[in-house]
Amino acid sequence: MSDIYLNFPAFRLGALQRSVQQAEQDGVLFSAASALADAGFGRHHHCSEAESAYDLAKGTLDDMLTSYPETRDLLPRTDLILYVNCLPLNGNTGDVRQFDSSRDVKHLMDFPASRLQADFGMDQSYVMGIAQQACTGMLGSIRVANAMLHAESDLQQVLCITADRFPPGAVYEQAYNLISDGGAACIVSREPRGYRFLGAHHITNGAMAAANDEETAGFYFSYSHRMITDLCRKAGITPQDVQWIVPQNTNQKAWRILASVLRFDFDRILMPTIGTAGHCISGDNIINLKTVQEQNRIQPGDKILLPMAGFGLNWSCILLEKVAD
Amino acid sequence: MTETILVTGADGYIGSLVCDRLLRDTDAHLLLWVRAQDADEFRAKQDKILQQRAGMLDRISLHHGNLYAEEPFAGVDAGVIDRIIHTAAVTAFNVEAEVADAVNREGTRKMLAFARRCPQLKRFCYVSTAYAAGLASGDILEQPLPAAGPFANHYERSKCEAEAILLSEYGDLPWHIYRVATVIAHNDAGDVTQYNVFHNTMRLLFYGLISTLPGVEETPIYLVTGEFVADAIAELGVKAVAERQIFHVCHRREESLPLGHLVDTCFKVFSTDEGFRKRRVLRPLFTEFEPFEMLANELRGLSGQVVSQAVESIRPFARQLFVTKAFQNDNLRAALSHYRAPDPEQMTLNTVRYLVQTKWGREI
Repeated sequence: MSDIYLNFPAFRLGALQRSVQQAEQDGVLFSAASALADAGFGRHHHCSEAESAYDLAKGTLDDMLTSYPETRDLLPRTDLILYVNCLPLNGNTGDVRQFDSSRDVKHLMDFPASRLQADFGMDQSYVMGIAQQACTGMLGSIRVANAMLHAESDLQQVLCITADRFPPGAVYEQAYNLISDGGAACIVSREPRGYRFLGAHHITNGAMAAANDEETAGFYFSYSHRMITDLCRKAGITPQDVQWIVPQNTNQKAWRILASVLRFDFDRILMPTIGTAGHCISGDNIINLKTVQEQNRIQPGDKILLPMAGFGLNWSCILLEKVAD
Repeated sequence: MTETILVTGADGYIGSLVCDRLLRDTDAHLLLWVRAQDADEFRAKQDKILQQRAGMLDRISLHHGNLYAEEPFAGVDAGVIDRIIHTAAVTAFNVEAEVADAVNREGTRKMLAFARRCPQLKRFCYVSTAYAAGLASGDILEQPLPAAGPFANHYERSKCEAEAILLSEYGDLPWHIYRVATVIAHNDAGDVTQYNVFHNTMRLLFYGLISTLPGVEETPIYLVTGEFVADAIAELGVKAVAERQIFHVCHRREESLPLGHLVDTCFKVFSTDEGFRKRRVLRPLFTEFEPFEMLANELRGLSGQVVSQAVESIRPFARQLFVTKAFQNDNLRAALSHYRAPDPEQMTLNTVRYLVQTKWGREI
């Protein structure tokens, strides 16, 4: 079986930003700002009234094209767009108010993936959507991309992209995490550059789909631990064989605890954007991966775990290996 | 001749059970001392106690006081007391230092001073805790303990200091010390009438609200039933056994479960509940002490309160879950007529089954 690679991580955050203290003053937190600050959160991004989730998706591809000039040639050669949204309402770019007046459901089926294909000239691609994995959707799309590339020999390149914004008036805290609106993307292909895909593991506990924040936090450690150890076992390694963990932006102390039970050095857990981006819904791993990549912290041969937990309840993790470009 | 026995903390869980046994097994007159701030609080407690012991009213009399007061036992006639069983204490692991000092240490000192004024005193029984041993590891003998600790919490420290006061300042009294382990259930059948940190922790695990526990799987956990404790204290308190002895009112290491086995046993019962099975709660991860402390600190200030409060209840005891103690109970075995250690796994199974079936007492 030929190897599959992930490359060109890119992202775009909501245009507006404010400090966690300002967020508290604006009434968009459940917890005290000081508690979230102690957890490592500093600022978060949110969309203006006019900025849509689709704008974030477009901005994410703009970032990809800017950050990696070679993608100007590559992107149009995309065979499949895997479009991910966490909040179902972000899977429709139509104006639901027009449905109210017209009763025409096409206003509920204006799919952003189709628009993206047209707006970025990915004419040879077709689209698929992932919308049932909450924050773990982006990692799920990478897993599906790997499977599709193995299953269909004529596929060469898949674009995985996620974009979500909270609706106006929403509280920007979930399960004790400060949330940012944003999008993230990467290309998964047969081209041996970036990061070799070594494996993926996903756990869904549907009985906890309606879990409150305390239950979500309660399940966090044991399931995260199981997910990581199961993935490593499937890949024939142990967590200690991994050089880096690039997780979602979640309470840093939680990761200290997880690191302790995994017997993993906390200094090798990289979430450089927790203070500036917060938990960007489904895109954190990619945002952090791009950031540490720019810092040249990951060397060829390094194995990297990208874990994420989300509502549903879902836990997802992929294992990558940096390759020499 | 009929004896008079003063029981402090007589409306507390252990104190009340001890009184029941003394009324059943002896013909003694009992002076029941209860904590009350004022006449109204005392009246409320008095009504309840008298109602519970309606057929024994000629054998009991009630007194009240407050261990914070200069003379908490001023209302009790020292001249008639033959025996004292001092159970009054604050037993919460998270008791604040000032309260522990005032009630458990200085309150005991006041009790001892009163005891010295009892001309016909035959025995002073101090109900202590097995965890007066603090964080000491290895064999824990039925011997005096070093008062210097270290201790996991102020409850342990204050009880140990009270023992030290008894031994150093009142060693001439005809004393006994009973060091009691953690009460898991009322009886071997697993009925629970008094909820503590053990039950709280089980509730968190059952509902999936905590997935990490401080401790080492091999640490033995010393659990007893309320009936075992009350039977032992009531028997030793009046029996003709040598004075100035310490008794460990607990079972030995080989009669106790290690922490990991205890959790597995609890999960065995949890998994009989359909809701638990559906939630697919995983066995908790055992963490080192510092990460657990970090978790407890982190939970403060976050919006949820249930887990934070429950973790806070575990926190003061957490260090003990890393310490392997081997309690010896030779004195207890030799003195009791019918010492018997229950099967610890069965006792745990029964208790946790009771907790699950009654939803921690809410659906009795």
